[in-house]
This record gives sequence, structure tokens and C-alpha cells, in this order.
Amino acid sequence: MFKEKNIWNKAEGKTTPEMKYIIEKPPKGDRVKRFLEIFAVILKHSNYRPILEQYVKISAKCSRCSVACHIYQVTQDPKDIPCYRSELLLRIYRRYFSLEGSIYGRLFGGYELKEEDIDEMAESFWKCTACRKCVLECPMGIDHGLLTHLARYIMAEMDLVPRALLISTREQLEGKTRNTSAIPWIGMADSIEFLEEEIKEMHGVDVKFPIDVEGAEYMFITPVSDWLMEAESLMGIACAMSAGGVNWTMSSKVNDAINYGLFYSDAILKRNLLVIAEEFKRLKCKKILMGECGHATRSAWFMPTYWEGGNPPEIVHCIELTHKLIKEGKIKLDPNVVTERVTYHDPCNIARQSRIIEQPREILKSFCKDFVEMTPNRSENYCCGGGGGTVSIDEIRKYRTSVGGRRKAQQIIDTGAHWVVAPCANCKKQFRELMEDNKVDGELVGLHDLILKAIIFDK
Amino acid sequence: MDAWLEFAKGPLFRFTFAIMLLGLARVLILSIINGFEAKGKSREKKLPMNYVMKLTFGFVFPIRSLRVKPLYSVVSIIFHFGLLFTPILLFDHALLFENSIGVSWLGLTLSKSLADWLTLLTIVFGLIILVLRVSNRASRSISRKQDFIWPILLIIPFISGFICGNSVLNPDSYKAFLLAHILSGELIFVLLPFTKIAHCILMPISQWITARSWKFAPDSPEEVTIALGKEGEPI
Repeated sequence: MFKEKNIWNKAEGKTTPEMKYIIEKPPKGDRVKRFLEIFAVILKHSNYRPILEQYVKISAKCSRCSVACHIYQVTQDPKDIPCYRSELLLRIYRRYFSLEGSIYGRLFGGYELKEEDIDEMAESFWKCTACRKCVLECPMGIDHGLLTHLARYIMAEMDLVPRALLISTREQLEGKTRNTSAIPWIGMADSIEFLEEEIKEMHGVDVKFPIDVEGAEYMFITPVSDWLMEAESLMGIACAMSAGGVNWTMSSKVNDAINYGLFYSDAILKRNLLVIAEEFKRLKCKKILMGECGHATRSAWFMPTYWEGGNPPEIVHCIELTHKLIKEGKIKLDPNVVTERVTYHDPCNIARQSRIIEQPREILKSFCKDFVEMTPNRSENYCCGGGGGTVSIDEIRKYRTSVGGRRKAQQIIDTGAHWVVAPCANCKKQFRELMEDNKVDGELVGLHDLILKAIIFDK
Repeated sequence: MDAWLEFAKGPLFRFTFAIMLLGLARVLILSIINGFEAKGKSREKKLPMNYVMKLTFGFVFPIRSLRVKPLYSVVSIIFHFGLLFTPILLFDHALLFENSIGVSWLGLTLSKSLADWLTLLTIVFGLIILVLRVSNRASRSISRKQDFIWPILLIIPFISGFICGNSVLNPDSYKAFLLAHILSGELIFVLLPFTKIAHCILMPISQWITARSWKFAPDSPEEVTIALGKEGEPI
């Protein structure tokens, strides 16, 4: 109905750009031996063995997952089938760590891990965006996203990890600024002042971004990149909190919710969460309020795993809170402001298991005159093409936008929407780039960007 | 021939059937133990049960299967149905159990004509599933040898069983087909727990195991770092 343009079958899609990321310190020496050593150590100390034992026994190679994968749909390369990719790791487990496989291997030979297999994994597991849509189609219950996570973890322990993520994480955990974008607090404080003035100019009210308020109900944390690129999302959140009378605060010390650990290392995942936990305890808050970000929110959902001292705090996504405030009648939105067509992208990390699905829709439908769904949507939605940390790897932008993001670009075109709502810092960056590279009309916004436009303050 | 048949029907059957039962019990129990070990190591125990149940029951009762690759799914569902229910609910098989161990389900067995139809359907759909695997580029390219062999191996007892039950054969031919029927079935029994066909027992707990494994062990990152000798190393 809205198909104005079809980029899906364009000829240039048939040549796949290279997916080659930069590695800071490419591992040297016997990589095979190192890989197996690390794999063995991780198996000994973690919870990954049960799934590997299970998956090597039941993987049926039915290829249903290929139908779900947005990468395979474009490349049609069998190496991009999720089950093929998972087998790269499963065959190593089967041969070296399973009872049956190691007996068979010793008696009859068979698969041996080689240097080139490590190169193949280093490429393949970073082509996967860990969106886990294929998981919904696997009758055997194989979680290809979890295997991607594990394979990346093993490789990261031997320094086989994209430099972009590594240097950001280094700055976040060991650098001076303690955030992935290396923004000093003084710069952020200036931005906050500026945003408060902007809100005053737009709505004529004083809305504050509270800083370091001890005992606040919510400690707010969002990807630091929002301060550089998503000012309107932040202003929208501040307006919603202010109108709703929420007692919230930000921290001047811990102000980056990005957690690349979710994508490549359990150690980094834990370290980042412990930093947040420590600050949360210092500020004596009651709940953690997440900004518009899928992976940061899903990372924070791991807080109960690493929280020490009992009673982990509740993790609340800002959309959930805004939805609640609207339902309670504390936030009023003008239905005559957003008149152009709106569509909504479900970020994989908050939608795949149906955790945050209906709230954003109910919010948008409550004040947007023309809301249309993408197809498919909700937990079935396609990844933006920049998931799993790949959006932060600038050197693979062409691959991300022409391969990873092609399905999403067509989805957007098919809606005919002007406002494309993607409440996730990763998705937002990827959307901007894929819309630019694929010449897709429309404007990318966060959900709170539209709230900022439509909110009505009682004066 | 008679001695072979007696051996195949008697001790070999008991041996292979025991391997199948014990083998399946072993993999199932080990998987469940693995799952509970993962639970023991994790700090957060709560699983997303709605999601786990949705996917588990969605494929055990294959409602979800039809969402993608509908032709393949229909063929696969009918093939699986025939594979599972025809041998179990066949009157002759139930009678064998009744005569040997005194336990049977004679009252639940299929009529002769229904059993024959199901047998034919299983054979035909087994062949179609093989053709689909070979003809589809994605399926073909990720298939291992066993993925091509299994459909053939699985329909051999159905073909030989159908011939035995429906043809007028001379006694020697009948015995040869019966022997082929029994031996191929026994080969399946032996291989079943050690190959992908173990999914017949493991599949229903797969989503649970996966959800358990997503609940990471809280001290695992430090233990891994220490074991790798990387303690205190900068990022």
C-alpha cells in the first residue's frame, strides 16, 4: 500500500561490501592453542557448558533460521546462515570438549581446529548482530545469539575484538572521563544547562536535570552518546519526569549506560554494572531508570546476577515510567502536534522477549494522529542492522547500511512514515546512517523526542 | 534365516531397545543435571517462563512451525507424526509387547487401514523431506552426512514393514523383509541416543536450558581472568 520505492532488489545489493574491522593488537603465536585454552577455562567457570552439550546433540540443520536472518536475506551466502555460524563454535566443543566427540576424534580423526577457522569466526561472529530473531524460528531451541556472545567472549580474551569497542571500554573503565565518548563532566554540565534553557524556550517552564540528588527514587542513566546526538530525547525524558513529578537524579560521576560487555565479554559486562551499582548505593536511590537504549537496558537487567548484598534494585525503562505517568494522567500530550505519519521500531534487546512492546505503542497512539506498524513488528521485528555493538564500528558502515540495514530500510519505506521512532541509542545511529546511505525519506527520532514536542505543562 | 530372525527378534531386540531407552534416559538426565547445575551457579534464578513456554510448546505442538517455510513445515510435521505414532500404535507391535512383557496398549492401536495409510505417508513425506533438503541451497549447504542419511534410514523399516504386512510373498522373501524390518529398526534404536535424533527427548527442555545458561555465574568473570593469568591487566 505504501510501497513507493523498492530498494530490496536493487542490483548493488548483490555485491556484498567487506566486513573488516580493525583489531588493535592482533594476537600472535599459536592462536589455536590459545583459543582452546580460553574455551576450556570459560567452560570450567561459567554456565555455558549446558547449552553446548545440548546444542551439539540436537542441532538438526533444518535451515529455518535462514528465513529469519536479515543478513542472510541480503547476501544469500550459506556462511551467513545462523546455524552455519553456530556450527563454527559447536564443532570445536564437540571435538575437544564433549565425551562422544573427543573419543570419536581420537579413534577416527575428524575435525581439527585450524588458524583459518579462527579467522572465519572472527569475521562471522561479528557479522551477526546478535538480534536473536532466528531464535524464534529454531524448533530445537538453539540460541544463536548466545553462541555469538560466547564466541566473541573467547576471542576477546585473546584480543580478537574490534578496536572501536575496546578503546571505548578502556576509556569508560580506566580513562579519565569514565565514559565511552570521552566527554569530560564539565562539557556535559554545560550541555545540561543548555538543554534546560532550550526547554524553557520551547515550553516556558523550568525543567531541571537533577544532579547527584541523594535519596532520589530513580537514578537515571543513559548512553553518554545521547548527550552528543540525542538532545531531544533527553529533553523529552526530563519534561516527562518533571510533569510527572518524579523524584529522579543523574550522577555526575557515572553517566554512561553503554555496556559493550553484553556484546563481547562477561568480565566487561560485570565491571560496568558494578560501577553503576556502586554509584547507585552512594546516591541511596531506590530504582535505576534507563534512558532510551536497548542494549544498556538489557545489560542492566543482568544487575541481579552481579548485585552483591541482596535486594537488587528494580530496573525501569524510561518508556515504562512515562507510560505509567500518562496512564495516571500526570502527563498530558497535545494530539494536534504530531500530525505526520509515525512508525515504531522495536529495539531487539527490549522487544525480543516481549518485555517492552505495548507501552510505546499505547503512548504513540495516544497522541499521534497517524500511527502505522512496520511489518513484522513487536518481538518479531527485524534488527536495525547495527545490533550487537556493530553500530559502533565505523569502518564497517557500508556493510551495516547496505547489508545489515537493508531489510530495515525497506521496512521503513513500506510504512511511508515521516517520523521513525527508534528508542535506542544504537538503533538511532544505525537508522540515521542507513536512511542516509539508502536514501530513505523520513526523520529518525526517539520516543521522547515526540513527547517533547507534544507535552502540555500546567502553568 | 530362522535362526537369524530369532536372534534379531529376541536378544538383539532386547539389547538395542535397552540401549535406546538407557541412552535417551542418560542424555535427558545429564541435560537436566546440567540445567540445575547452571541454576546452582547463578545468582538470579528467575526465568522468563512465558517466553520459554511460548517457544517450547510452540514447537512441541508445532503451531509455530508454519510461520516460516510452510511447505517444509507441513511435510516435516506429517513425517514426524508418522515416525512417532505409527510404530508405537501399530497393533502388531503392541501385540509383541503383550506377548513378551505382558504390558501393552492394544486398546489404543490403529486400524490396519489407518496404519497402512500412515506408513505410506511417512515413507512419501520422508522422501519429500530428503528432496527438500537436497534441493534447497540453504539446507543443502549446512547439512552434514547424517542429515542426508537419516531420512533414508528412518523410512527403511516403514518400507519393509509395509511390504511384510501387505504383500503376498513366498516364505523366504517374507522372512528376508521381516529381518530387514527388524534390523533396520534396531539400527535406529542404537544410533538414536548418540545422534541428532536425540532431539526426540531433548527438544522439550531446550528452551529451559538456554534460559538457564543466560543466567550467568556471578563470579565467573573473575575466575576466568585469574585462570588465564590476566589479573590486574589493563584493558
